Amino acid sequence: MSNTLQVPTAAPGASAPRAAGGAARKTLLTRSRPWLLLAPALAVLAVLLLWPLVRVLLFSLQDYGLREIVSGEPNWIGLANYGEIFTSPELYTVVLPNTVGFAVFAVAGTVALGTAVAVLMASLGSFWRTVVGSAIMIAWAMPAVTGTYVWIWIFDADRGIVNETLQALGLQDEPVNWFTNRYTFYGIVLLNVIHHGFPFVAITILAGLLGVPKEMLEAAEMDGAGPWRRFWRIIVPNLKQVFAVVIILSTIWDFKVFAQVYLMPGGAGSNREALNLGVWSYVESFGQNRYGFGSAIAVLLTLVLLGITVVYVRTMLKEEEL
Amino acid sequence: MSTVTTNERSDASRSTRSEASADIAQLRKGRKSGRKVRIAGGKAVLVVLLLGFTLFPAFWMLSSAFDAQAGAGGQQILPREWSLSNFEYVLTEGGFDVFLRNSAIVAVVTVLASALLALLASVAVARFRFKFRTAMLLMILIVQMVPLEALVIPLFVQVRDLQLLNTLLGLMVVYVALSLPFGIWMLRGFVAAVPVELEEAAYIDGASWGRMFRSVLLPLVMPGLVATSVFSFITAWNEFIFAMTLLGGATENYTVAIGLKQFFGEHSNEWGYIMAASTIITIPVMIFFVIVQRRLSSGLVAGAVKG
Repeated sequence: MSNTLQVPTAAPGASAPRAAGGAARKTLLTRSRPWLLLAPALAVLAVLLLWPLVRVLLFSLQDYGLREIVSGEPNWIGLANYGEIFTSPELYTVVLPNTVGFAVFAVAGTVALGTAVAVLMASLGSFWRTVVGSAIMIAWAMPAVTGTYVWIWIFDADRGIVNETLQALGLQDEPVNWFTNRYTFYGIVLLNVIHHGFPFVAITILAGLLGVPKEMLEAAEMDGAGPWRRFWRIIVPNLKQVFAVVIILSTIWDFKVFAQVYLMPGGAGSNREALNLGVWSYVESFGQNRYGFGSAIAVLLTLVLLGITVVYVRTMLKEEEL
Repeated sequence: MSTVTTNERSDASRSTRSEASADIAQLRKGRKSGRKVRIAGGKAVLVVLLLGFTLFPAFWMLSSAFDAQAGAGGQQILPREWSLSNFEYVLTEGGFDVFLRNSAIVAVVTVLASALLALLASVAVARFRFKFRTAMLLMILIVQMVPLEALVIPLFVQVRDLQLLNTLLGLMVVYVALSLPFGIWMLRGFVAAVPVELEEAAYIDGASWGRMFRSVLLPLVMPGLVATSVFSFITAWNEFIFAMTLLGGATENYTVAIGLKQFFGEHSNEWGYIMAASTIITIPVMIFFVIVQRRLSSGLVAGAVKG
């Protein structure tokens, strides 16, 4: 960041002919210029992101329901909401496994598939690389909402293509409702999230791969290292930073999947087995009007993500100076 | 005469020897090309599998959207009855003409407002050194990670207090805030990439800061501004949880992302309509993605090559 413009003192043409008072006003203006530029954005961020974050914390310490929303009067109950969360058996049997377990599988799947695709693309000629690149761009660009509906349609209980194909092949006699079982439910979410998330990983890692010096790989090949060994011994260490960023970002995204779960049949709270942290918070708040309890869940989710973000920021800081 | 025969013989022997070595070379080449063929074949299989997995949902969406009998059961890979009737219904009786208009208004206002705010702020953080600059950048980075589920409760109360529930204005204000941090973060890189010397040259020519900003910085940052705007457009276009919460019962103000729910019935879902509407929603996003994508990935590659 050495090229940062300190203070544009070298504006001779403009300031020299001015009177002394004008020059003083000018330096004041110059000094406050970054703040003037920042002010509108900061105001928006403060009112619409930071203040709400403070407020969600305050709500989480109250029994905040419809009555409190209408009257605006606080109703403090201390940490009772958090107590209820941590003593709820649902948290340990359903919500945490659905959140953490899902994130582990989703991140592993996304990064593994993305890396494999990147390696494949790097080995292709430019024509096929463009074809594959365009195809994964389509998967990437598909909005989460429409993508989720398409997967629901594919697995639809009555007329979905999966059920019809399995029946035509004689593998099952009757249509199966894939959405009632918790594991098949999250299996579909997993498919959806990996399908939508691997293109980012593939493109990012491909960019890194193309930067690995060819000589290094050729030298390793001369020394008799097979493709597997070359991948783990040369490519992975070279792209450590890229992998770290990709894994952390995927973790953050997969921890807060919402639409992909909420839109599924039963995902909006009617199937309690399918709840994850985000959906739980939302259905408690807007379904049961227990905004205080929902806020407490949201605070916990935020803290988890904040923890991961700290790791991310430290990785970023290693890479570049802000 | 004898010399001729010896010559001939030696020629013959030479030719057989060279033929033999050519055979060996051929053999080696054959084995090598056999391996090459096998690798190429394996790669082709992988590419086909990958393309199938990647494109199937989009293909299935299109195929169902154009099939007048989608959802009637027994669907084939290709539509049995090609027609635009699903699209027709969605855009007229389905109300998607209104939803599209709403989404377009929300997205355009969001893009303009957040582009302006993000540009000014990114110039500040990229070009000036001031107190709390690093703290500010960290805050911007961290704020992006906050889950929307945590923001939706307090913002719902806030928007309700301002009596903006069920209005597009309330939604726009929230979307500007949501797309700002990423916009500032991204534009900061584009502003920093403009050589300071160009700015200094403008000052030497007697330009004021404002003039320099308009005539030097702005044109050079334009590509970045376009890319950032596309991202905030996509954010506003795709966003689901705030639209659902803040618009609640006001069907006439629905955006496309929540308008889809219209076609889910109590007992059966109109899959043809849903897929046609999904296609309509997806197309603008795809177009914009193609615009940004080249810039995005080439930027990534450039960064990687530079090291």
